[in-house]
Amino acid sequence: MKAPFSTYLTEIAPALKQLVGLLRKRYGWVSLLATDSKGFSVRISQRAKNVGSETMMTERGCVVRVWQDGLYSEAAFNRFDPADVEGLCAKLCAELDAQLKVLRELGTAVYETPALPDEERTLFVEMETGRLPEDEDIPALIRHLTEVSDAGMEQGRDMLDCMVSAQSTHVCKMFLTERQDLRQSYVYSEGGVVCMVMRDGRNEMSHEGVAERLGPEIFDDLSDALKQALEISQDLLNAERVEPGEYEIITAPDVTGLIAHEAFGHGVEMDMFVKERALGVEYIGKRVGSEHVTMHEGANTVVNVASYAFDDEGTLAGDVTEIDRGILRTGICDALSALRLGTVPTGNGKRENFEHKAYTRMTNTLFDSGKDRLEDMIASVRHGYLLRGISSGMEDPKHWGIQCIVERGYEIVDGQFTGKIIAPVVMTGYVPDLLGSISMVSPDREAFGTGGCGKGHKEWVKVSDGGPYLKAKARLG
Amino acid sequence: MLDMILSLLRESGADAWEVTDSQERGWEFYFIRHRLDQHRAKLVEHIWVKVYVRSEDGKFLGSASAEIAPTATRAEAEATIRELVGRAAYVKNPAYTLVKPDGGEQPAAEPVAVERIARDFLETMEQLPETETEDLNSYEIFVSEVRRRFLNSEGVDVTSVYPSSMVEAVVNARRDGHEIELYRLYKSGSCDREQLTRDLSETLRYGRDKLVAVPTPAIGKTAVVFSTDAAREIYEWFIARMSAGMRYRRISDWTEGKPIAPEFRGDRMTVEAVTKLPNSSANAAYDDEGARIRPRVLIREGIAEASFGSRQFSQYMGLEDSFQPGNFAVSGGTATAEELRQGRYLEVVEFSDFQVNPFNGDIAGEIRLGYWHDGDQVTIVSGGSVSGTMADFVQDLHCSREQRQYNSLLIPAVTRLEGVTVTGAE
Repeated sequence: MKAPFSTYLTEIAPALKQLVGLLRKRYGWVSLLATDSKGFSVRISQRAKNVGSETMMTERGCVVRVWQDGLYSEAAFNRFDPADVEGLCAKLCAELDAQLKVLRELGTAVYETPALPDEERTLFVEMETGRLPEDEDIPALIRHLTEVSDAGMEQGRDMLDCMVSAQSTHVCKMFLTERQDLRQSYVYSEGGVVCMVMRDGRNEMSHEGVAERLGPEIFDDLSDALKQALEISQDLLNAERVEPGEYEIITAPDVTGLIAHEAFGHGVEMDMFVKERALGVEYIGKRVGSEHVTMHEGANTVVNVASYAFDDEGTLAGDVTEIDRGILRTGICDALSALRLGTVPTGNGKRENFEHKAYTRMTNTLFDSGKDRLEDMIASVRHGYLLRGISSGMEDPKHWGIQCIVERGYEIVDGQFTGKIIAPVVMTGYVPDLLGSISMVSPDREAFGTGGCGKGHKEWVKVSDGGPYLKAKARLG
Repeated sequence: MLDMILSLLRESGADAWEVTDSQERGWEFYFIRHRLDQHRAKLVEHIWVKVYVRSEDGKFLGSASAEIAPTATRAEAEATIRELVGRAAYVKNPAYTLVKPDGGEQPAAEPVAVERIARDFLETMEQLPETETEDLNSYEIFVSEVRRRFLNSEGVDVTSVYPSSMVEAVVNARRDGHEIELYRLYKSGSCDREQLTRDLSETLRYGRDKLVAVPTPAIGKTAVVFSTDAAREIYEWFIARMSAGMRYRRISDWTEGKPIAPEFRGDRMTVEAVTKLPNSSANAAYDDEGARIRPRVLIREGIAEASFGSRQFSQYMGLEDSFQPGNFAVSGGTATAEELRQGRYLEVVEFSDFQVNPFNGDIAGEIRLGYWHDGDQVTIVSGGSVSGTMADFVQDLHCSREQRQYNSLLIPAVTRLEGVTVTGAE
């Protein structure tokens, strides 16, 4: 079925267009993003049960962006009376004027930027989904997740608790200017199983997730996720600390995704080029990885949680080849950064929600597949680890340092698994060294969309990342 | 809108309910170098509703929550509440009770001078002691007045009005064509010019040092000294382990009246919930469930004393009179900061993202800037990582008598952990 576009947004669209028109009399350029995204969140464990309607992307509100004399200003609001558009217009202008008064009194200089283009454009997209979150039978879902949690407790060993979660969001966004009217509606869902275990006073927690740009139907069968989470929990309880040092590594697709995202993805967000915060700008056209490295980024790269039709600035979704056989080709760019850099936006201008500023953000970031069989990759390792599971990562676009905290590693000696497991694993290093060391790439490729991405330590958005198995060298601690 | 929701809730058949109405007026300024990239205003209202339904035998209390948009029609709000009542009946949590009015006086709800606070931040950032080689790359200023009203079916109706501010700053330092950056994110109530200037000046100095840093050697296990905001993570782990939620879920086994470590070779810490800290953004008088926030000692000289937390988990742990504090203070250091900086140790002042896993106490972080003190030699280092587990460190943790405040946390200015694994970058 198609995910139907918001009735609320359809109803208020004429009044919002009136607001754009009124603002246009005062400002040289005006856009408006309106959102109405509904969802649910259910978390079931043996100790507590939670049912809510909020997810990372549920929201209802608007943000106007205006331009005058080289300066962009924005006002976010969520109290809107279609019968009093003039009143709202006056209120928003007064608030922005009050800010400008302070800025003028302080003699603040402006980073002057031209007005965005405004060409005639309409788009109406309702994407496919199996079911809608707003139609979901929540009591039935509660019963289902409870059964999965109970099964986890029954099948698992050393279990403290088994938490099962399911979230689904029906995203509706409308972007308006004087000449543009873009509307999109899609559903994404994510969930998973968390096993909390304790043995001899040691706590460990494993997680296995599911995420798709589909409806709540993805929760119908969580048996694989449960099985995986149970196995991982035992692996973690049996894990040792790694002896710090440099090792041959094989990264599973989820860890490959973490590298794509943290080690490289943030480094080519081009708002960082504007601020001269990214080393990447100096490497366009230069080698940053081995011949085996090709990386794509974009809402159209794969179909996953970050696959939309247009971004929060009205730029259509794209698919950018960032690295082509080891050579850095380009980055990703929001609309304002593109104006400042004299390039074109790539459909990566995203907001945490209508209340937040748009920045250049990742969508789906993936390494391309290769031709090496996983068995051959394992057989080629003299001493190293197959790394699986992600905990967290942190970007460092200025210096291309890497911080990836990987959940666990399986030791390989002379091409054979020894049975030794290490956890947690802190992988650090220098991005070109890591990407340059990639010597084998498997043909399979997976994308993972259960996580969120921050910029610095804030501005959380949905992203997916992934790739195939990679063989490389890295420092583990 | 709020009156309509309250009326719908009273007619809904829910056994109990809670409503939080949060209104925010926010001003934001974004700078590249010192040029204004963009400015933003925010005028928003969020109304969250939670309904409760008791099981027939009274043993269970289910809840379901949703945000009702301020633009929702009566029919929309009614449908949402009806749906919540239906869902809550299927959520089987052991019964607990909601907060009741405490009869105490409500603090006056003073309006927040958003414009003045914003002006203070703008001026402070403009006047930082930058040099030709150390300066601000970019910064973002966020200032808000938050007006939060909480009501429940027990008759609680309390309002908190408070300022909430945040500054994100990226600092550059450069020499001979080489440039580095350091990142800071400060949260506070309003603008404390002196503290912000002091902290950012310190960051500018670190930037200078990072330029000459060499790769961290493979040190192995050593003492690591924390003297910047990464130390918050360490103390937040202690606080989390005293929360009723962590104890109820059996993630924390710390028990009232018992020591938090089998033996203490280091300092015995005292951890307290405090109602207010100077300029904290968490100085609201009431918590999210309408309970008045009060002082409470959580750990006294290394002995667990009291938990804190939500009504639900607190009551499950047999704690009737509880709340969720916003501010915490940690003390108990027996040495001075100078005394802790003795012998062989690595002082790390910048991490990529230092983390303490709340579930198992594992620590991890990539070193962006550290000072390796080896005998009389001090080497400025960068790269590599620290790792280990708090379960090992808690027995031999040393902290300074001097304290330093990070928004809602007042903690020892210097913390020393023994036996941390340091992976080198060489």
